[in-house]
Amino acid sequence: MSNEISNKLTNERQFLTRLILRTSIGLCLLLIVIGLAIFFARGGTHVPLNPSGKFSAIVERTLHNGAGLHASAFLIAGIVVLLLTPIARLLSGVVMSARAHDWLYLMIGLIVLALLIAGLLIGQATA
Amino acid sequence: MSASLMVIVILLGSIFAGGLGSLTGLGGGMVIVPLLTLGFHLPLIDAVGVSLFAVIATSAGAAPRFVGTGMNNVRAGLFLQIAASSGALLGAWAAHLLPSRWLFVIFGVVLLQAAALSFKPTRSDQAGASASSPLALKLRLNSKYEQAGEWIPYHVTRVLPGFAVMVGAGFLSALLGIGSGAFKVLAMDKLMKMPFRVSTATSNFMIGMTAATSAGFYLTHGDTSPLIAGTVILGVLTGSYAGAHWVAVLPVKILRRVFAVVLILVALQMLFKGVGLSI
Repeated sequence: MSNEISNKLTNERQFLTRLILRTSIGLCLLLIVIGLAIFFARGGTHVPLNPSGKFSAIVERTLHNGAGLHASAFLIAGIVVLLLTPIARLLSGVVMSARAHDWLYLMIGLIVLALLIAGLLIGQATA
Repeated sequence: MSASLMVIVILLGSIFAGGLGSLTGLGGGMVIVPLLTLGFHLPLIDAVGVSLFAVIATSAGAAPRFVGTGMNNVRAGLFLQIAASSGALLGAWAAHLLPSRWLFVIFGVVLLQAAALSFKPTRSDQAGASASSPLALKLRLNSKYEQAGEWIPYHVTRVLPGFAVMVGAGFLSALLGIGSGAFKVLAMDKLMKMPFRVSTATSNFMIGMTAATSAGFYLTHGDTSPLIAGTVILGVLTGSYAGAHWVAVLPVKILRRVFAVVLILVALQMLFKGVGLSI
């Protein structure tokens, strides 16, 4: 691969990484602040239950409750966005490795991704 | 204590923890778990589940400043992440099997170790490796970093011992809800002979990924209170941003020593709780 293409891919990777990190942290904080504001606005007495079970079901319930302006929905959404931040960063790296035909690091990235997903699956299986 | 007052106190405590963690480099997780367990009598497993999200937040918050400086050795970080994430899965699983009294004792011992480390100089006096190991060459781990406008190349060696230490670091992170950055830096700096600045930046990259592996476990297992986790994330991020701005103004060396003394006291309390003594 020529130096020019390699530099272009490196710049794209750095831009994407910064974008993912800043956007997700900003979104996470926004959702949490809204969640806490709703919690206090509604008297600050109702403590939301811990989510558990299938990750997809947690996201589905969160979206459903979000429409009803429940504090728990915004707080869980903030937590989920934060949890997805390293996963999104890893995925962008995997895509960039594929574009650079770097098969070794594509495979390593996929193994790490599989371990991250295994965490979610083992947690729900043992809940 | 009412729920709203609890949220306010946890928020203030988390701002303090995030600020101290950022100023001293010792990490907020060391403070969050004792704060929630000793201060609010939260079960240790739930406190760990919350703290792991604070660890992801501080790692993600600090990461953009390392991008493009060459400080973060992405290849080394990714390869070692296989070990750290595997250790994290084992640690999360073990945390749900071990009696909580054991966890208090292990936490106390790790806190004492962190306090002892903070009395030592943070910068390494290690000379870099003069040649790379065959595995490091195969994995293309050698790299370069920018210092004062100059790009400095470096070699990487002893990859497998570093890999083994990362399994332990990931295990402790998931077991106790801490970043275990000190162990990761130790492995890269002392064993693999990577430059200290590169080791700390790469460790920051890995800390978030390791915590995410086990945080997913704790979340789907039902050990993460959204109200407390949200409050702690907000507090720790606010504190760490403030800490990063004050680092040039405040006497960090003195703060580090004061924090170490506080850690020793907290460690003793965790140990006493673990062995069933009250003080």
